[in-house]
Amino acid sequence: MNRRQFLKTTAIITGGVLTGLPHSAFPSNPPADLVLVKNGLPAAMVGKALELLGGIKRFVSKGERVLLKPNLSWDRTPEYAATTNPELVAEVVRQCYQAGAANVLILDNTCNDARRSYTSCRIPEYAEKYGAEVRFVRDNQFIETPIPNSRQLKSWLIHQEVFKVDKIINLPILKQHGTTQITMGFKNVMGLIGGNRGRIHRPFAENIVDLNRVIVANLTILDAYRVLRRNGPSGGNLEDVDQLNTLIAGTDRVLVDAWGAKIFGIAPQTLPYLQLANAEGMGEINTDKFRPVVYDF
Amino acid sequence: MIFNLTTVRVLRQFVQVVFLLVFIITILQATYPFKPWLPPELFLWLDPLSATMPLIANRHFDLIFLVALIVLLSPFVVGRAFCGWVCPLGTVIDLNDKIFTQHLKKINPLWRSVKTGLLMLFVVLALLGIQYSWLMDPLPLLWRSSGVIVLSFLFLLVDTSLAILIKLGIFSETLMNFQDRLNAYLFPVASPVFTNLLLPVLILVIILALSNLTRRFWCRHLCLLGALLGLIAKLSPLQRRVDQNLCTKCGICRRKCKMAAIEEDFYITEKSECILCLSCAPQCPPAAITYDWQSPGRMTSKIDLSRRGFLGATLGGLIGAGFFKINQPDSHHSDRLIRPPGAITENEFMAQCIRCGECVRICATSGKCLQIAFLETGWEGLLTPLAKFRYGYCEYNCNLCGQICPTKAIQPLALPEKQKVKMGKAIFLKERCIPYRVNENCLVCEEHCPLPDKAIKVIPQEYIDPLNGNKRIVLYPQVDENLCIGCGICENKCPLNGEAGIIVIREGEERQLL
Repeated sequence: MNRRQFLKTTAIITGGVLTGLPHSAFPSNPPADLVLVKNGLPAAMVGKALELLGGIKRFVSKGERVLLKPNLSWDRTPEYAATTNPELVAEVVRQCYQAGAANVLILDNTCNDARRSYTSCRIPEYAEKYGAEVRFVRDNQFIETPIPNSRQLKSWLIHQEVFKVDKIINLPILKQHGTTQITMGFKNVMGLIGGNRGRIHRPFAENIVDLNRVIVANLTILDAYRVLRRNGPSGGNLEDVDQLNTLIAGTDRVLVDAWGAKIFGIAPQTLPYLQLANAEGMGEINTDKFRPVVYDF
Repeated sequence: MIFNLTTVRVLRQFVQVVFLLVFIITILQATYPFKPWLPPELFLWLDPLSATMPLIANRHFDLIFLVALIVLLSPFVVGRAFCGWVCPLGTVIDLNDKIFTQHLKKINPLWRSVKTGLLMLFVVLALLGIQYSWLMDPLPLLWRSSGVIVLSFLFLLVDTSLAILIKLGIFSETLMNFQDRLNAYLFPVASPVFTNLLLPVLILVIILALSNLTRRFWCRHLCLLGALLGLIAKLSPLQRRVDQNLCTKCGICRRKCKMAAIEEDFYITEKSECILCLSCAPQCPPAAITYDWQSPGRMTSKIDLSRRGFLGATLGGLIGAGFFKINQPDSHHSDRLIRPPGAITENEFMAQCIRCGECVRICATSGKCLQIAFLETGWEGLLTPLAKFRYGYCEYNCNLCGQICPTKAIQPLALPEKQKVKMGKAIFLKERCIPYRVNENCLVCEEHCPLPDKAIKVIPQEYIDPLNGNKRIVLYPQVDENLCIGCGICENKCPLNGEAGIIVIREGEERQLL
């Protein structure tokens, strides 16, 4: 082997090894489990959050069916902050398909008329651009589902897709709520249940924790770009909307809600449902101990 | 006559089907999202009775009533052709007669004056402020029975079959897309439910069943619009003529006549009855029948109504009006009778509303609160729309009932105005409401209140359990009566079964002026 041959072989081998290695062989940082992104636009913030969490491929594998659960519940346009930001949702849809998802499904059992709410919140309009399958929720699609180890609800009507899909990504919006002070990820799963939903309010903490035992989001992305401070969860007054330009995402459902409470200005420990969820071992509530990776645009 | 009458007869059937389709299209368009390319009110605007009867009863003129002149004046040119060529109920009856019925009875043609008597009676009623002609006016009648019921039934049928097919997994993707398409343009996502459907259904069923006696029994004997157009058609220049040299008096024309308009001599035609359907002419063996525009002016026949009939109808109207006024509804629940947002004052509302059910249908595709009244508001208010909040609620961002009302009994308010109109106000029934009854949190009503400044306020108060002395903070809801507009979403969403813990009462309701 002469020098030329040696250099050539070395170059080929090195190049081959380098290109063949997975990208994560050179990690800048280990993937975080909780991130807080600030001062960006909704799509950019969720893009950054997913990147810090280790990329969408950590949550969505090739060929999987993914259920996104944004809040489409009210007949309000996005600026009223009663429904999840449509640009944020669209970016998640795009990334899921980029990761090779077979299908990205969006559903919500709305509070106002379904057609009005789906149109006003503009989530279908944005998400369908990237190929999301947005469906109305119908009464005959709920399955009476037993809830094992429950505190309060022995069973409830739960949407069939919850059990059909491979992954669930919860996309709540942070806002004020009369019963629970604020509503976030745990409360957002109410859009996947049927029946007399008003019954869930009593006793709220036990019921909502029970529902989250069977509806388990693999990832929660909390939209706090615009935050409804008063007259929630339906809103309707722009003066009640605060521009927080924030997004929290994580794998621990309790911790995401706890941090949501914290940035809203409420001590997580004062929310009975979070305390109960923490006591039941569903996640961490201590925001002093468990801190997010922060990214400021 | 230059046209071949057989061709014209086929043309008539074609025109009938086209108008029936147009009618169905106008009904289908009465839906959210409301982007009509044909006004859903079209046939009701064209209806002379829907224009004149509220006008007589309320003495209020609206320019839109002029549209009805097209139909009202048409008999001066073409006789009762509207009945034979255009009227969608006539077409439905024709189809029904063809498919289902046997015509068993020969009825004395003099019975045709019944409809003229009824028209007289309803005019007297209207003069006395009771507008009731909608009961037997074919256009609102067909609108309310097909618009509300048939289409909802159809929807249920389509939805159920689609659900079964989707569950079976045959082309489920395509079927789901199809279902979504239907939802986008035609049907609400959840099938609407109605109360008090029996009466409108029954009326239609009876009309169709009566065809077992004779063809077009309704059009011959009962239809008020037919009576009105018939009166004018007596002056029609368009007339069936029989060439007496050719006529063999075989009687086929008289047997074929849908309306019993041909007299015993086979020559004379009663113009107030003839609907120009051309059932007779093409069947005439010697082709003796032609149609011709003669000089109008001389009445070929007198008005059917006898002096006795005239007297009876007038007396009937007077007594009827008295009955409606005296026979008041059970006032026990009168505070719960909520009218649509933008409804005019009650007496005028009853006299202006033609019970077409357009508002009820369009509401069924949105907030779903409007229902057809039975006797809740008395005989006078039969089939008027009422908001019943355990069936639905008034969508804050919806003003479609006012947009669609053909007689402006519900005023067409712009959305910002409608959002301020008080349909009533919500009050708590504290012996039912969960926080007041068992001192636990609920607040579903507060959650749904759509007002930018919620009309339901939360009052946290400490509660001491008398049994064990335990203390807890309970969130008690309270209505701010100045803010509440009575949209009823609180009553609708209240998790209690049966009567809600919060109800909307009529107190403080705001009505519009006509």
